[in-house]
Amino acid sequence: MAQPLVKKDDDRDDEADYSPFLGIEKGAVLQEARVFNDPQLDARRCSQVITKLLYLLNQGETFTKIEATEVFFAVTKLFQSRDIGLRRMVYLMIKELSPSADEVIIVTSSLMKDMNSKTDMYRANAIRVLCRITDGTLLTQIERYLKQAIVDKNPVVASAALVSGIHLLQTNPEIVKRWSNEVQEAVQSRAALVQFHALALLHQIRQNDRLAVSKLVTSLTRGTVRSPLAQCLLIRYTSQVIRESAGNTQTGDRPFYDYLEGCLRHKAEMVIFEAARAITELTGVTNRELTPAITVLQLFLSSSKPVLRFAAVRTLNKVAMTHPMAVTNCNIDMESLISDQNRSIATLAITTLLKTGNESSVDRLMKQITNFMSDIADEFKIVVVEAIRSLCLKFPLKYRSLMNFLSNILREEGGFDYKKAIVDSIVILIRDIPEAKESGLLHLCEFIEDCEFTYLSTQILHFLGIEGPKTSDPSKYIRYIYNRVHLENATVRASAVSTLAKFGAMVDSLKPRIFVLLRRCLFDSDDEVRDRATLYLNTLGGDGSVVETDKDVKEFLFGSLDVPLVNLETSLKNYEPSEEPFDINSVPKEIKSQPLAEKKAPGKKPTGLGAPPSGPVSTVDAYEKLLSSIPEFASFGKLFKSSAPVELTEAETEYAVNVVKHIFDSHVVFQYNCTNTIPEQLLEHVSVIVDASEAEEFSEVASKPLRSLPYDTPGQTFVAFEKPEAVPAVGKFSNMLRFIVKEVDPSTGEAEEDGVEDEYQLEDLEVVAADYMLKVPVSNFRNAWESMGPDCERVDEYGLGPRESLAEAVNAVINLLGMQPCEGTEVVASNSRSHACLLSGVYIGNVKVLVRLSFGIDSSKEVAMKLAVRSDDETVSDAIHEIVASG
Amino acid sequence: MILAVLFANSEGNILVERFNGVPAEERLHWRSFLVKLGADNLRGVKNEELLVACHKSVYIVYTVLGDVSIFVVGKDEYDELALSEVIFVITSAVKDVCGKPPTERLFLDKYGRICLCLDEIVWKGYLESTEKDRIRRLIRLKPPTEF
Repeated sequence: MAQPLVKKDDDRDDEADYSPFLGIEKGAVLQEARVFNDPQLDARRCSQVITKLLYLLNQGETFTKIEATEVFFAVTKLFQSRDIGLRRMVYLMIKELSPSADEVIIVTSSLMKDMNSKTDMYRANAIRVLCRITDGTLLTQIERYLKQAIVDKNPVVASAALVSGIHLLQTNPEIVKRWSNEVQEAVQSRAALVQFHALALLHQIRQNDRLAVSKLVTSLTRGTVRSPLAQCLLIRYTSQVIRESAGNTQTGDRPFYDYLEGCLRHKAEMVIFEAARAITELTGVTNRELTPAITVLQLFLSSSKPVLRFAAVRTLNKVAMTHPMAVTNCNIDMESLISDQNRSIATLAITTLLKTGNESSVDRLMKQITNFMSDIADEFKIVVVEAIRSLCLKFPLKYRSLMNFLSNILREEGGFDYKKAIVDSIVILIRDIPEAKESGLLHLCEFIEDCEFTYLSTQILHFLGIEGPKTSDPSKYIRYIYNRVHLENATVRASAVSTLAKFGAMVDSLKPRIFVLLRRCLFDSDDEVRDRATLYLNTLGGDGSVVETDKDVKEFLFGSLDVPLVNLETSLKNYEPSEEPFDINSVPKEIKSQPLAEKKAPGKKPTGLGAPPSGPVSTVDAYEKLLSSIPEFASFGKLFKSSAPVELTEAETEYAVNVVKHIFDSHVVFQYNCTNTIPEQLLEHVSVIVDASEAEEFSEVASKPLRSLPYDTPGQTFVAFEKPEAVPAVGKFSNMLRFIVKEVDPSTGEAEEDGVEDEYQLEDLEVVAADYMLKVPVSNFRNAWESMGPDCERVDEYGLGPRESLAEAVNAVINLLGMQPCEGTEVVASNSRSHACLLSGVYIGNVKVLVRLSFGIDSSKEVAMKLAVRSDDETVSDAIHEIVASG
Repeated sequence: MILAVLFANSEGNILVERFNGVPAEERLHWRSFLVKLGADNLRGVKNEELLVACHKSVYIVYTVLGDVSIFVVGKDEYDELALSEVIFVITSAVKDVCGKPPTERLFLDKYGRICLCLDEIVWKGYLESTEKDRIRRLIRLKPPTEF
């Protein structure tokens, strides 16, 4: 509690404004609390002392166990007083002290007496205090009174019991669940707040019973709900019901949509907003459904209340991620919010505009943002930078102005995270937009001339070493890199030396000059820099003449280290300096699986502002990293797609196994994630024996068993297959888990020496056509379709036979193709007899594919479909037709 | 859940802080974060004009009343709109107790009453009462008038 901002300063001399708590001190207040024991109680004085105690507690002061007990016992004496004001204070004080279980007994009788008092307010407060301090056994004793209180005529008493119920449900659910009849009655109460509290409690009691929640919502949406707060709750529960019933109402109207739409005309802003948000969050919401919600949100954008503006722009920002076109109507209102005093609102407005803007508005928008950037905090700037990055990827032609913007803000003041976000963005743009490479690299070079962050300098130098030599004029980067050797700290100098060497290795004409520079580095004051220079001078070869660099050397400089860094670090730490040099081949290449307990450890929910958790690594990146670290798979090329895990065992079996299908151009790798759930067993040499007799085009090329699988520590084993290149081969695979099982002594955790070989049958696994298709959305389908042109278009018609419904047929085709539905066209309006669906995706071989589906259904439920495919490659267009024809 | 209700004076000293469901070790972060937020944004703001911010999934609504700044932090169902309702109840209750937007001195003079009001308004992270007249009666243990 030594924080200067925690306690009131007591050294202020302003007489007129001195604090009544001036110089307050815990010890003295505790002394004063002895007045509670006086035989003649002075109610006023006692109230004052309690206020002082509250002041201390409210400022984060804590009482020791003994102090708390003493105060608590003294406070209980105050029940003798008849003074009403004092009694109210006593209730609060007992709650604040939260006495321990063995002390509670002292007050229970007084509180029970109050709970049956004729004075309503005594009852209400006694209920609240009792429920705060009670445990299960006491609760059963007072349950009868609480049930009565829930239906008490006095709304304060009823609310007190209901809110108590909400809290008690966490600790004693079985008791509170018995009150549901009374709570049901309270939901019908005429008092607004009672209805609100009762609705919240009733929903919590029944939240696991879908049918009951659905009934509750059905009856209340028809009836009257008095308070706006309760209405908001009801809207939330309604969206829950809609979400859960989404699977089986594909055919009909979206249930309750009319209710939500009706709420948009409610008189309370809170309710209007809640309904609008619920509509925007509906799964597969259509443009027609969205329109009324967007209209009210647009009105809120120009509200005089910042909270409403914030709420509206925050919701629109989310909508813009999935339905950018729906939000464009609000662009003008949003542009005026860029100058909003509240920076949170302004940032949200900017990032929304960046998502909804079209190519022509980019330049104007950038101008507005430039003025805005100077007066917002770093965390907002990062959000803007990320939005600009995705905008640039969306409109690659605009890279020039966006790249300029990024380089300008890179020169301005800013913290590490902000600068890192900018650098990362530039790096991504250089990678994805080839035209942006040269200007981007020069911007980065200029940045490292005056960069205070070692981490960023080394990252940029490394990147320069890889990309720089491939440019048209590599020599112009050398000056920037060599400057680092003069001006920077040892870490940066060392990476500059490595970068120089990479230029020397890749650009033969530069080699003599690089040699001169590297030789100068031999006199550096730092060991690492000198060592690196020596190493590179010796490996590059040719002694500084224009010769081609050996393939091995290039491999050494540019190839990836084919051992996991963690393993290398451990091995290096274990290495004892001796005559025998360290052998990199001795480093184990197997990735150690992380024990489960360790993974769970950081599971604590970050409720507060502690260091923000590091951004989640996308699963694709994680898989790519994992696979590339396994030498057997290193030659497979770039990973095209990884499927979601498919369970191969039932839940709660001895061994839990799921599989992830990794698709490469001419290979498929199955990653079996295995967990051993038996504490008394250790599995060794775990592998999966795959029978591919029903997958003719596949032939097994590699299998990577798992050395050991201890209890509760997930591990992976892999099997790789070769298949014809760029062909969407399909097939069925049967799997058998094979391993050696060893008994483990549970007391010592040690495994026995000898094990027994055993097998465990797993479910079959299929590779289907959809595995070769990446779901990649396009922002504007029409534009994308037009720009692709009809050259490779293939159109054909299919009869899909009798179907349950049109929606079911549409869903089946979407799943068969594994493509991304665009513009909400996966939702089929009820009772419609025809439907058009737009799909986009990227097919193996990185071929963009767009699909237009037109469905029709006749009275006998026969469905016909017209399929039009456009892609950059006619064989791919044909392949899509083949998938449908054979599906 | 309403995670926190915090009152500070114009210099950023804490007058009242009440946390719900926030681990003790995170409270200090919150305290300094909110005080900084106030120092950065509340200058020149009119009484009861609401400001809003969010940090990940947590919302903050804050304002000034007389010499006192008030912060309410919530998450899940207590989003910015629900919190603006909560802070409205709190400001009207405080004005009611003090008779006007309070100076710091007045606020401290009425400290006990204000604590009782807060006790009526927020109970362990949930909004309990919303009307100032009712709250005024409840803190004197009088039944509400509409009853």
